[in-house]
Amino acid sequence: MAQVIVVTSGKGGVGKTTSSAAFATGLAQAGKKTVVIDFDVGLRNLDLIMGVERRVVFDIVNVISGEAKLSQALIRDKRVDTLSILPASQTRDKDALTKEGVATVIEELSKDFDYILCDSPAGIEKGALLALYFADQAIVVTNPEVSSVRDSDRILGVLQSRSKRAEEKKDPVKEHLLVTRYDPARVEKGEMLKLEDIQEILRIPLLGVVPESESVLKASNTGNPVIMDAESSAGQAYKDAVARFLGEERPMRFTDAEKKGFLSRLFGGRAA
Amino acid sequence: MSSPASEARLEPFRLRGGNFNLLVLRLLDPRVEVIVPALADQFRRAPGFLRNAPIVLGLDDLDPSAAPDFGHLIAQLRSVHIAPIGTTGGATDVRAAAQAAGLPPLRAAGAELPVAAPAAPAPVPEPVQEMPPPPSDWQPTMVVDQAVRAGQRIWAQGCDLIVRGTVNPGAEVIADGNVHIYGALKGRAIAGGAENLSARIFALNFEPELVSIAGYYAVRDGLGDAPLGRIVQVCLIGESMRFDRLG
Repeated sequence: MAQVIVVTSGKGGVGKTTSSAAFATGLAQAGKKTVVIDFDVGLRNLDLIMGVERRVVFDIVNVISGEAKLSQALIRDKRVDTLSILPASQTRDKDALTKEGVATVIEELSKDFDYILCDSPAGIEKGALLALYFADQAIVVTNPEVSSVRDSDRILGVLQSRSKRAEEKKDPVKEHLLVTRYDPARVEKGEMLKLEDIQEILRIPLLGVVPESESVLKASNTGNPVIMDAESSAGQAYKDAVARFLGEERPMRFTDAEKKGFLSRLFGGRAA
Repeated sequence: MSSPASEARLEPFRLRGGNFNLLVLRLLDPRVEVIVPALADQFRRAPGFLRNAPIVLGLDDLDPSAAPDFGHLIAQLRSVHIAPIGTTGGATDVRAAAQAAGLPPLRAAGAELPVAAPAAPAPVPEPVQEMPPPPSDWQPTMVVDQAVRAGQRIWAQGCDLIVRGTVNPGAEVIADGNVHIYGALKGRAIAGGAENLSARIFALNFEPELVSIAGYYAVRDGLGDAPLGRIVQVCLIGESMRFDRLG
């Protein structure tokens, strides 16, 4: 039986889609058969981040409304052959998604895949609720910033009350905290929330800390998930997080400010 | 508010303890016809003395078998503008006679409570075998065993509320009774429903966005010098909120 994982945050712009792409790629690189679904119907982005936007023919709305078969809509990744993408529709809105339709799609995907990642849209409306409804596990993406933490807290409450597992009174959705855009130097200056402050409010296990890195923007714009960039700190942090998700013990990195050397202070260099 | 008369008060009275200094008129003779003329004689020498003063009758020096006629005594004392309001000390029978005439036994501060007549020892209550059933309007306290997260709202209807975790920013806990939070209060806590002025809020770490009791409220910016970050009890004194540090 496949594990359904929702990548969610409540707030927009914190790195859900970047994290979904990186995580799905990481799981697939680890040999797990993985599919990532874009639930952001009307504002589809995942296909861009994954670099498959030119190969989209059908999307999840076509599948739900019976206009296409699931196998026609799935896009096989060219870099990692255990990875597939189910894109969102650009032209429809979230009302085109139905609980029954999504249930059918997930049930069908469960037969062929180990992990089904659901990239949630921002907010707590229909699209986000459907993305998390079938989840077995949740990766809550949070920035070190008060409004992001507040929204993550909100979405955790929704997971605990409105997911299928909550409604059927099964074991609760397993929650993981992924802190992104973390800048230890700014944390030290008091401009960003400390990791401990975030954990004090959210109180869920920490899966990883992804540092603020210029390589993320570059990766998005070139359509290569940042986890493929083994040089970058963000890529390494996602690799660590995937390994932890799969049960490996890895020490947390990128949580302390680097002592800047003389040269980098002189030239104002930043971590790649 | 158009006129003071239209201002509806929430309660018609309040019961409070108070300490008063009262004169005690120690009766040395049970005969009314002896006591009252002697008092009148005293007043002639000191006009205004004891006029309209409430006094307590001291019964310690009276013979237990010869209680005065208290009804007659009261009437005669009032005729000379002395207002007896109760008795102190004295034998059981004498006190009982005074009580029958409308003068209750008073307890001097620090003295032992006079035993009500008849002075039989209070019966030892039978050990209770079973707890009596709770009254029909009794509601069990609502207990929440986890953190209350942003956007969640918990309402303990008609009862107290206990939260064992944190009330996070953006969360709201409401009780018609008291609110107890065995964690940090970082969201909103509302106690006492619409009218329970005696409801209180307790929190182990007091960092609220808003606290409210019976409709009176304070937001974070209005907390003034409340002991933030401490163990705090919030209660209502008149129309203002009081924040007591408990530890």
